[in-house]
Amino acid sequence: MVGLSIGEKYFIQGGIAQDLRTDGRKRLSPRPIFVETGNISQSNGSARVRIGATEVIASVKAELGRPSALHPDKGKVSINVDCSPTAAPMFEGRGGEELSSELSVALQRCLLGGKSGSGAGIDLSSLAIVEGKICWDLYIEGLVVSSDGNLLDALGAAIKAALSNTGIPRVNVAAGASGDEQPEVDISDEEFLQFDTSKVPVIVTLTKVGRHYIVDATSEEESQMSLAVSISVNRQGNICGLTKRGGAGLDPSVILDMISVALSVSERLINTLDSQRAAAEAGKDEL
Amino acid sequence: MSSKETWMRQIRAEIGVVAKADGSAMFEMGNTKVVAAVYGPREVQNRSQQLNANALVRCEYTMANFSTGDRMRKLKGDRRSTEISLVIRQTMEECILTNLMPRSQIDIFVQVVQADGGTLSACINAATLALANAGIPMRDIVTSCSAGYLNSTPLLDLNYIEDSAGGADVTLGIMPKLDKVTLLQMDAKLSLDTFENVMQLAIEGCKAVADYIREILLENTKQLQYRRGT
Repeated sequence: MVGLSIGEKYFIQGGIAQDLRTDGRKRLSPRPIFVETGNISQSNGSARVRIGATEVIASVKAELGRPSALHPDKGKVSINVDCSPTAAPMFEGRGGEELSSELSVALQRCLLGGKSGSGAGIDLSSLAIVEGKICWDLYIEGLVVSSDGNLLDALGAAIKAALSNTGIPRVNVAAGASGDEQPEVDISDEEFLQFDTSKVPVIVTLTKVGRHYIVDATSEEESQMSLAVSISVNRQGNICGLTKRGGAGLDPSVILDMISVALSVSERLINTLDSQRAAAEAGKDEL
Repeated sequence: MSSKETWMRQIRAEIGVVAKADGSAMFEMGNTKVVAAVYGPREVQNRSQQLNANALVRCEYTMANFSTGDRMRKLKGDRRSTEISLVIRQTMEECILTNLMPRSQIDIFVQVVQADGGTLSACINAATLALANAGIPMRDIVTSCSAGYLNSTPLLDLNYIEDSAGGADVTLGIMPKLDKVTLLQMDAKLSLDTFENVMQLAIEGCKAVADYIREILLENTKQLQYRRGT
């Protein structure tokens, strides 16, 4: 990617200071977001999200597994992100690993709660089948196809949409299995249970450029940032996770301000995602 | 031959899917979905690889973790990916007029989003569209299609299940106007007559893909003209 000249940098910073960004948006206006679900037919659930030129794909696969000994009544979820070299030449080979792990960890923190699994946005107990023996393992994979800033928000939205598109097959457990034996399970090919995503949060990232912060930064704006705070909020308005990136210091009062901005932006985002999903489903029913 | 065995799966292509790339395309053959992005011609990153008379063409093929039926823990740079990257590079290098862009570098990145047989063909078709979208001068487009032989019948454009059934799989890449074969790969065994039939079928498939690709490129050019106001 070609670097920015000094003139361009001043233009971006100046625009943000005057509440008029390079693409005409105000500081707190996000770009329009487009969601498509069900593109990957081999996965249990999938979604493709486009925010401006940023495009990400999320896929959810469910496999049978054994619950961990510490939480026998809960299933397991693993989140992994991959940055495709198509998004930027520097992601070729192992170049994208650092960014991929940073995104994966941030998403895990926002969606999976603390170490004990408490406060997870995804209800892990709904994934248990037979306590202590069989549970569902969800593998959530994100792929960044094209990058123009705000990857974390796009991935968060894609994962939420993919989970709402996910159908977990109904499992019939053979009765009468004793103690240590693995019970026999019959996975239905026909019946699917829709995953409940009402508690899954979305992520809103606020990027500080100069003395002001903006919502939904493009990659040019991100190159000028001093720090970024990503806040994950659910429909009930609870904060599910918070990540601050960048070395610059932040006044504590500003953090509270950012959180309230994130709350209002996230509400609009959740409504947009829900209405797009409803429209997509209505379209499918018509077919 | 107009029976079902000689039908291709539905193909769909879209140009310009990766806005930041110099050229990009998405190509679908049935359930196989591939995204290709081209960055270049640009300055060579590794001076020691610079060619004084030609452009350096590099290619990387990657598969998404969720692209196949079983979720695989993909290792970047595993043998199969390296081999396919090499094959795609050699095929595309053949058709690019590299002597027009000396001391530069052209990167072709191909990402498989969903794999259901014929991934190599889809990659080459996507790469062709992406190169055309980037405005890189080429001798001709390269199109690719696979054909196989199952139950004594030549079949065009195998999907994953047909490919795994144990019959032969011939992948062919041609430059349609010049009528030259640039890629030919086959596994399993076939008698010479059968091979000729299967290869002929693959060539017809390639020509059908070429017609579709030309249509897409023409449509795209009309759009560009329209937006320019001419």
